[in-house]
Amino acid sequence: MSDEHSVPLRERLEEFIGKPMGGDGPSVGPDPVNLPMIRHWVDALDDRNPIYLDDAAARRTPFGGLVAPPAMLQSWTMGRPTVQGIAERGGAPGTPGRSALSELDAAGYTATRATNSELEFERYLHPGDEITSTTMLESISDEKRTALGTGYFVTWMSTYVDQQGEVVGRQRFRVLKFRAEAGVPA
Amino acid sequence: MSTHTQQSLEWTSIRVGDEIPPLDVPLTASVIVAGAIASRDFMPVHHDLAYANKQGAPDIFMNILTTNGYVARFVTDWAGPHAQLKSISIRLGAPAMPGFLLRFTAVVQRTERQGDLGLVDIALRGATDIGDHVTGNVVLLLPASDRTRLGKAHQRDETIGLGLIVDVPRTVGG
Repeated sequence: MSDEHSVPLRERLEEFIGKPMGGDGPSVGPDPVNLPMIRHWVDALDDRNPIYLDDAAARRTPFGGLVAPPAMLQSWTMGRPTVQGIAERGGAPGTPGRSALSELDAAGYTATRATNSELEFERYLHPGDEITSTTMLESISDEKRTALGTGYFVTWMSTYVDQQGEVVGRQRFRVLKFRAEAGVPA
Repeated sequence: MSTHTQQSLEWTSIRVGDEIPPLDVPLTASVIVAGAIASRDFMPVHHDLAYANKQGAPDIFMNILTTNGYVARFVTDWAGPHAQLKSISIRLGAPAMPGFLLRFTAVVQRTERQGDLGLVDIALRGATDIGDHVTGNVVLLLPASDRTRLGKAHQRDETIGLGLIVDVPRTVGG
């Protein structure tokens, strides 16, 4: 480990670019697309579009039956959290492995703020669909000074596939990993 | 609580420049935490004030999945249940924190027929007391070929303006 830390940060970051994030293999949704999670979402966001919970109404639409809110795409493959100690792990749901994000954390860029999201939907998901996702780290910017503090923009692309291996959606996501500076308004 | 129209817009009635009825979301800690947990995002900045402060934020703030969810709700509250979202592209600005009013507004930027479907590209903004929380575009598809696909035959009331086919009172609350 001590050898690793003698390597400049930029070089340590480079090794992660263009590679899969999040450990071995794709992230597998702990549950298929399901009505209880859809109902929680509908209530949390007070979204009364009938295609999510009213089967008869959903059948009268081109969807042909109930579908999940499209913006839930990312939720289906989120890791199951170990809630104890999550703050100490910087919000990682489980034990974080070595990654570009952990390298930035270790170098003091511990704060994270999402800056961009581009979601694309090939089709809406139905209850019963089994979703897996694969995430590739696309790029890491040079160090930038921002209104929030000094940091790096990290961009990744997640591809979501169903039980047939068909792509159902994609999300490109960019975060700023930065040093939180006292007195800087968020 | 909002009630949702059971009917959808006719694509042919949508014009570039049409404004979408605003959606106001009064933000509370409950609203922000409910969205974070419903989206299975347990990052402490979305529910733990002390943690958020340590990260340089004055309060907990809305997670991006919830922001995307409100963006989707905002445009489908308007377009109706036949609308199929194709993309949501957003840029995040000021954090959405408890005590703010998050107000979504939008304008139709582009329409394009694609066979039996009509595409609508909407430019939107979600503003709070301290500036824009979110700006971006949503692209959606609506049936565009014949009215029977929207259910029954409709008598369109030209006085309604945006061409909303209304047979259910539509109110949007916080």
